[in-house]
Amino acid sequence: MLQLRNLRVAIDDQEIINIAELDLQPGSRLGLVGESGSGKTMTAKAIAGLLPDETKVSGSVMFGGQNLLELGDRQLAKIRGKRIGFVFQDPARSLNPMMRIGKQVSEAIRLHTDLKGDAVKAKVIELLQQVQLPDPEALVRRYPHQLSGGQQQRVMIAAAIAADPELLIADEPTTALDVTVQEEILRLLISLSEQRKMSLLFVSHDLGVIRFVCDRVAVIYGGNIVESGRIEDIVSRPMHRYTAALLAANPGMPKDDNFSAYIGKRLQTISGSVPAVGKFPSGCRFRNRCQHATESCSNVPATSMVGQEHRYACWHPGNGG
Amino acid sequence: MKSLVEVSNMYFHYPRVKITAGDVGWTLHDISVAIRPNSTVGIVGESGSGKSTLIRVMCGLLHHQKGSVKFDGREVSEYEGAGVNDLRRRNQIVFQNPRRSLDPRMTIRRSLSEPIRALQERNPDDAELITSIQRVGLGPEVLSRFPHQLSGGQLQRVGIARSLSVNPTILYADEPVSALDVSVQAQVLNLLMDLRDQMGLTLLMVSHDLGVVSRMCEEIVVMRHGHIVEAGPTSDVLSRPKSDYTATLLRAARAASLERS
Amino acid sequence: MPDTTPAAGRPSLRKRLRRLPITLYVGGTLVSLFVLVALVSFVWTPYPPNTLNLFNRLAPPGTPGFIFGTDRAGRDVVTELMLGARNSLYVSVVSTIVAMFFGSLIGLSIAGSKSVLQGSLTRFVDVGIALPGILTALVLASKLGPGNTTATLAIITWQVPVAARVTIGPARQILALDYVEAAYGYGRSKAYVLRRHVLPNISPLLIVLGSVMFAAAILIEAALAFLGVGVQPPTSSWGRFLNETQSLLEAAPYLMFFPGVAIVLTALGFNLLGDGLRTVLDPQQARSGLA
Repeated sequence: MLQLRNLRVAIDDQEIINIAELDLQPGSRLGLVGESGSGKTMTAKAIAGLLPDETKVSGSVMFGGQNLLELGDRQLAKIRGKRIGFVFQDPARSLNPMMRIGKQVSEAIRLHTDLKGDAVKAKVIELLQQVQLPDPEALVRRYPHQLSGGQQQRVMIAAAIAADPELLIADEPTTALDVTVQEEILRLLISLSEQRKMSLLFVSHDLGVIRFVCDRVAVIYGGNIVESGRIEDIVSRPMHRYTAALLAANPGMPKDDNFSAYIGKRLQTISGSVPAVGKFPSGCRFRNRCQHATESCSNVPATSMVGQEHRYACWHPGNGG
Repeated sequence: MKSLVEVSNMYFHYPRVKITAGDVGWTLHDISVAIRPNSTVGIVGESGSGKSTLIRVMCGLLHHQKGSVKFDGREVSEYEGAGVNDLRRRNQIVFQNPRRSLDPRMTIRRSLSEPIRALQERNPDDAELITSIQRVGLGPEVLSRFPHQLSGGQLQRVGIARSLSVNPTILYADEPVSALDVSVQAQVLNLLMDLRDQMGLTLLMVSHDLGVVSRMCEEIVVMRHGHIVEAGPTSDVLSRPKSDYTATLLRAARAASLERS
Repeated sequence: MPDTTPAAGRPSLRKRLRRLPITLYVGGTLVSLFVLVALVSFVWTPYPPNTLNLFNRLAPPGTPGFIFGTDRAGRDVVTELMLGARNSLYVSVVSTIVAMFFGSLIGLSIAGSKSVLQGSLTRFVDVGIALPGILTALVLASKLGPGNTTATLAIITWQVPVAARVTIGPARQILALDYVEAAYGYGRSKAYVLRRHVLPNISPLLIVLGSVMFAAAILIEAALAFLGVGVQPPTSSWGRFLNETQSLLEAAPYLMFFPGVAIVLTALGFNLLGDGLRTVLDPQQARSGLA
């Protein structure tokens, strides 16, 4: 349903994104994982047509048979918010502090559906119930600051799904939240996507969170998708050296409550840090931080396949030493 | 073994908060905890649990209203005059956000020499600063830079170097890696473990991340709403949590974490 | 937070100069012109100060020897404007420097005071802002008599609370940052923190504030001189010049144009400069956590 082909985004002649191919199947939940500066948020913005004016975009983002990159502002406005919903990292910043909760959700309904009058009110209550907020009748009269961070994020989700979108893009929706609240919100997103057959593009830096939510994952580094496939395949048998290193560096939680053996155990690290835009090496973007890099890595690696879906672009694939 | 820090029945509230009937309004409520020398203790809890406030009371940056906080056998409030400098020197903090914890208008050299200038009233020489910066895995060239010229991971190393420059006894780390990228988190956590072992530090780590705490800390304190819910050896508390809250926290953390052996 | 090393290769100087806002250039030009004219007046004016050309009273602009003409007493308008600029510069420099110094000192002290006191001290400053400046000046004039000192004092009492009020908020924001807590952690005093951490980090804001206050001082000085509370004859001033043209509305209506335009252009210049500086210094403010 969503197909990216040769998507290139550049600012000031610096190419920040170059994605040859990325697909999202209907009803599927795709995680886009990357560190800050990897281009994950830019990719989400490119799909949404929310990139700043000075960026140059080429390639195609096919959604429901249309190339979103070729649409004008008007046509795009009909899709954005209606057929594609958005949830962002910081709910406190995404909500208007001066507007009551009911009004914020009903704005989304009025804008993207034909409902009017009492039907809108009923729909607001229904949406707030669907995101499992308690006592929606009282909640509609509240202001954002009277809600907890988790409740605010639920309101954002309610507004995002107001027009029954086919795709929901969530950019680090739980990073600002506590662990217990995070789990609740993640469960909510999973159940909404299952009930409504709604696809989810979930952007995060945390593979643990993505494994919980998504069935598929794409790993992005230096604006390139370096590996993609089913989440379990990638977590258990990563092929790209960056994915393997990212997994090894994740503190995670010990298996089988084996905490005593776990204490004091060093983590495997990735040397250096993510370069600034324009400072990535040519060829394999990761080669200056990779232990396994050789001469051949200065050439752009070709995409290889494992089975049907697992793709990676690495000259020295593997996950062992 | 004698405790290095001993907190007993301690209560704390911020200024301009009224304590009402039923003890409502305390940010920290009847806290008792003892820290052994050379131990590594994790304080976990969610926002509003009072975990960051607790370490600030323990190191004497905030003053409690009831109960007692002893450092090295002496009440923290009794450290005065030259004693305060000794208390400050031996208790150092590393902050969560390295960009906010270094003055953007000071060079790294200046920021790094500040604790020595303030506490020992002398100007550290270059050799001393270079030793200090190399200890955290950075080169001498960063000394002349300004914070905006360094990455978050590098800045956090500078923050650690600054805290260690005065040879503290305890290092309080307040969410030291939560603002960093995953690949850099591991580097900083390993660095903290190495420095702790090399320098014989007592390490108190505040974190919301049970994965990080269970890897770093042999003891754990679980906090909620200003109370201590549970405390003890990490493997006991996390394998057989006595309180429902710890169990909830553990389940939530497990759900969204990778399983590692 | 991006864990990226910010690019070392910044754009070339020429490219950066071209990116500077136009307001900075226009404001800077107007302000430099004003300062230049005021300084030149010390060494050269077309005619010596207070030269009365009794045969050439109210000469229209374009009269040979008097490009802008002469006033009622036959003084050369260009000379008068140059001397007026000198007086404006004098009063506004003194009052702005003094007001900025005490204002920011008071603002920093309030920001650093105990939280219990802070609210009432801030309200106190608000009362100072609410006092009407012209009224203060008139009261001062009745005590001290009119003159440049009165005008300067009036402007200072007017602007100190404003400078204090503008300083308090950003200073408190800086005080809440971790590097301040870190400084307390290694034993620095509040006075040291205010001087070495807060002041440098709010300095962009103070520079902008200073330029805006300069513009205000020019306007107030002119207003006070116009009302007869400011500088007295024979010293020249734009405000007094403007006042004198009032009675000549029929005889020489064009005359009010000269001091009027001088005042407007100078005030505009400082305001534009302040605006331009704000834009230029903003990224730094963002970096220091102010924006």
